[in-house]
Amino acid sequence: MREGLGADPPGLLPRLRAGDPRAFEEFVIAYQHRVFGVALRMLGNRAEAEEIAQEVFLRAHRAIADFRGEARLGTWLYAIASRLCLNRLASPDRRLARGDDALMDVPASTPDAAAAAERAELDAALRAAIAELPDDRRLVLVLRDVEGLSYEQIAEALALDPGTVRSRLHRARMQLKEKLERFA
Amino acid sequence: MTCTETRDLFSALADDALTPGERAALDAHLAGCAECRRELAGLLRTVKLVRAMDPVHAPAGFVDRVLAAAQPAPSHRRLVRRLMRPWPTLPLGAAALLLIGGLAVLLFRGSPEQQRAAHDQLEAARAPSSERNVAAPQSVEAPPAAVTAAPRSDTDLSKNYSEPPKSESMRAKTAAPTTKTDAPSPRARAERAQATVPNASRDSVSSAREQEAQQRLTPPAAMERREAKRELADRGQEALAPAVGGRSAAAPSAAERQPPPVGAATPAPAMATAKAQAMPQSAPLSRTGPMTGIPAAPPDVTARLRVAHVSGAERALIELAARVGGRQTGRRIDGGRLVVELAVPRDTYAEFVREAAALGAVSIESQATDRPMLAVAVTVSN
Repeated sequence: MREGLGADPPGLLPRLRAGDPRAFEEFVIAYQHRVFGVALRMLGNRAEAEEIAQEVFLRAHRAIADFRGEARLGTWLYAIASRLCLNRLASPDRRLARGDDALMDVPASTPDAAAAAERAELDAALRAAIAELPDDRRLVLVLRDVEGLSYEQIAEALALDPGTVRSRLHRARMQLKEKLERFA
Repeated sequence: MTCTETRDLFSALADDALTPGERAALDAHLAGCAECRRELAGLLRTVKLVRAMDPVHAPAGFVDRVLAAAQPAPSHRRLVRRLMRPWPTLPLGAAALLLIGGLAVLLFRGSPEQQRAAHDQLEAARAPSSERNVAAPQSVEAPPAAVTAAPRSDTDLSKNYSEPPKSESMRAKTAAPTTKTDAPSPRARAERAQATVPNASRDSVSSAREQEAQQRLTPPAAMERREAKRELADRGQEALAPAVGGRSAAAPSAAERQPPPVGAATPAPAMATAKAQAMPQSAPLSRTGPMTGIPAAPPDVTARLRVAHVSGAERALIELAARVGGRQTGRRIDGGRLVVELAVPRDTYAEFVREAAALGAVSIESQATDRPMLAVAVTVSN
């Protein structure tokens, strides 16, 4: 799991609002892995994930003047990324194009020499199980257990009640547990 | 607390998100329920597995691509793009077709100058007078026919080929208008095209003669020279394009973006030969057509595009280049991989990169954006 989402880099937001190109570069550098990570775990395809991740930053670039700063920059980016991913997943073209092997090109966890095969099998099963989750549950799971956001941050990013986040997360985890039972 | 109520708290327990009251009730139930303890252990194991997944990293070059895509296009280009969004190339294509159609009509009608030139040429070749009216239109309508027909009248046309004074004056006549006017009217362009017709015909015939002679001597070497000459003519034509169209290299003419049209291709050898002598090094782009075999000049931008389907991506790249005001300049196979060569205006390069990223995983390997028209080489692979 990634480290939790900390405070925004100091002084970054005013510089972004002022249109400082160097600030935008710092912004992309700071959040590129988080945004790409969500997109990849949600879409399961690196090319598509990069396209969406790029679009997230472009939208942020265009809208930064309207960003009120009530949320953290990171939470705001997660919100944009989540919306774009869900929209993409809901598009008719995407439904037709998406195969059963979604998420299969997500890199496996570092293989250890001895347990490589077993670990690879477990990784594959885990990725497949995550890919099979309903989109809204998968998103909450990814934001919490992969990206390390708190319930409150997820609720803010997805404009949900924290209770809804908690129940969706619970159902997602229970569903995963059922699918991975044979590895217990 | 029932088993179901207890299990509903498992997930929150994994996140330490239970209230003290919930935690106390949960612990009390677990103390007496082995089944729920097993369930809890399974869930905690699952959560641990998910959290052990490696964090994903954005691909190399991602930041550069975002920064390039975020650069705003000039406002006039945005406006043009917006106006043309439904059919990005339709207006240009239609304009090119109209221009070509107009040229064809003018050429068929013929001008005194054209007739005189054709007459001189045919006189020199001692061709029968009945062929006079046919010679020029044939060469305009179907240049390959003129080339392939040449060997049939081999002996007659050899004299035409060996008349340097006349051919020099013709060349001067052809080249002069291109340097006089920066922005010629369509009519002036049409007239110029007419003036080049006899030259084109003669050059086609001459080059056919030359080809045949070379093939008789050493066919492979001759083939190579012919390809090299064709490449030179291509470059010459390209270099000439700004003068003919009154446009800069950054904005290739609409006619250039179309497939070689009937009639428009015919003047090329004569114009190209004349211009290639004047400015052979000024061709701004790598022009490695599929048949040339000549290596490209170093591109301004080299990139890799990883996609699921190479052929589809190639088509999409070419269409994308056209959409942003560029075009394809070549195609080659390098180390078993397809390299698509494109000319992309610097002003729309950022948009090109952004939209190319929608086709697959793009990585920019080198990038220089000094020139108004960028030579972009994209290696497309799975």
